[in-house]
Amino acid sequence: MRQRTRKTLLGIAFLLPVLVMVGIFFIYPLIMVVIMSFQKWQVLGGSEFVGLKNYADAITDNEFWKTLWNTIIYSAIVTPMIFVPAIFLAVVLKRTSRTTKFFRTVFFLPYAISFVAASYMWKWIYSDTYGLLNYLLNLLGMLDQQINWLGSTWSARIMVSIMVAWKTLGFSMVILIAGLQGISPSLYEAAKSDGATKWQEFRYITFPLLRPTIVLALIISVAGSFKAFDHFYIMTHGGPLKTTETIVMYINKVAFEYYNIGLGSAISVVFIGILLVISYLQLKAGGLSNE
Amino acid sequence: MSKSVLIILLIASVFFLSVFYWTVLTSFKPSNEVLTYPPRFITENPTLIQYNKLFTASNGIFLRYIGNTFVLCVMSIVLVLIQSILGGYSLSKLSFKGSNTIFLIILSIIMVPYQSLVIPLYNLLSNLGLLDTIPGLTLVYSTFYMPFCLFMMKNYFSSLPDSLRESALIDGASELKILTKVYLPLALPAVATVIVYVFLQTWNDFILSLIFTSSKEASNVQVGIMIFASSRFAQDWGLINAGATFSIIPSIIVFLLLQKYYVQGMTSGSTKG
Repeated sequence: MRQRTRKTLLGIAFLLPVLVMVGIFFIYPLIMVVIMSFQKWQVLGGSEFVGLKNYADAITDNEFWKTLWNTIIYSAIVTPMIFVPAIFLAVVLKRTSRTTKFFRTVFFLPYAISFVAASYMWKWIYSDTYGLLNYLLNLLGMLDQQINWLGSTWSARIMVSIMVAWKTLGFSMVILIAGLQGISPSLYEAAKSDGATKWQEFRYITFPLLRPTIVLALIISVAGSFKAFDHFYIMTHGGPLKTTETIVMYINKVAFEYYNIGLGSAISVVFIGILLVISYLQLKAGGLSNE
Repeated sequence: MSKSVLIILLIASVFFLSVFYWTVLTSFKPSNEVLTYPPRFITENPTLIQYNKLFTASNGIFLRYIGNTFVLCVMSIVLVLIQSILGGYSLSKLSFKGSNTIFLIILSIIMVPYQSLVIPLYNLLSNLGLLDTIPGLTLVYSTFYMPFCLFMMKNYFSSLPDSLRESALIDGASELKILTKVYLPLALPAVATVIVYVFLQTWNDFILSLIFTSSKEASNVQVGIMIFASSRFAQDWGLINAGATFSIIPSIIVFLLLQKYYVQGMTSGSTKG
């Protein structure tokens, strides 16, 4: 019994650094953001309780809906751009050899660099006057003018998504490879002896068994798209006409430019809710919650 | 691998790497060559003039940003290591009633994005007098980069046998000694993963540094590049590409050297479900 008490005390003592940090910098802010979402903050300090007013303001705030919509559209564009190539690459690079290791490193490399650096690298490629992209397309005869790729709404959304796919698909690929390596090779041998085609192998063995891994990679990726900030801040600054302004950009704008702490907090709470729902739905769709 | 797949992979690789090539090439071009059209794919006059501008502008403020970022990285790595080694060991070898609940609370940090907590965190840092300071930013980093590391350390300690601890206890070793002398030397791959992960996260962070710092005293290199690129160097693509190139060198070196551990750590969570 004394042995047990000693172990419990030591267990708590070893966890103390984590508990202190999590308490101060996670749990306290989490509680505060909820409290602040029910308050109105005065410019000269002090605050008063205003009930659900901030939430009502958010619902009637056009820019809030617009940024939420922008974020959803962006996620819908970028997710297939990441996953179609990532699944293909994972399938062809799942066996470990010198060649596959080389290719994996190449495709994973952009994941190591910052969104800021990547954004400027691509912004330079997309430049309308000196950009590589316009030059190459003109050279190939596919264009006869200089296009301002980040200057119109849909083009900007797609071009930023291409950058993000380049930067992050390697990460999804690596997770998917790990999942593929967990599938027993004997299944493929059995399929082969039954005369299955490559596509049938993928359709009836790889895809169903890889589903939990795909779901996990999807959650990480879609949650990441919803948190998008750096690349839009740098490549488009939300433009043109706020059509690429994301929800996180809007939270920062409301809080630190409009100084509307209450509204910013209310949108933050809604944002937390959205992300929790996304994770929950995807877990459910993947059949992970039953396991 | 069939020939057609190999050809697709080669073309894709050229595409992936050409983005890096274009940035690095631009950073070594003289200014008049940067802004030429049609663009040139090699340069006959490679020069360090862009880097010279980068490092000397505003009394070498860019070097200050780089220095800040290294300090932020080292401090965050130390803080995350302390938390995740002690905490991971506790959750794996010293588990008690309630430690599972604590583990779930810590993991929930991964689900709640820090982007949604910037308003209260700003107030908190402001009240503590830690706004626009390196320690303030480090505390935020190490809280939000810790859960993944703790998860990994816990998994790694759990894969090591409990019998090591029991026999060391019989020999009269203290718990801290058992951790540092017996288990930690065996868990070095996990420690390496933590170091790479926290380094890359800290080095590449933009939003937290942007919100919680506002001066050369504490801002990191990513904010530094943004400040350069949106000030009087706005159209100076030679300088911007030099900044981008310089800022990705540490990330790429750390990543290539420790890629194996990074990938192992990244995938250990996903394959165990």
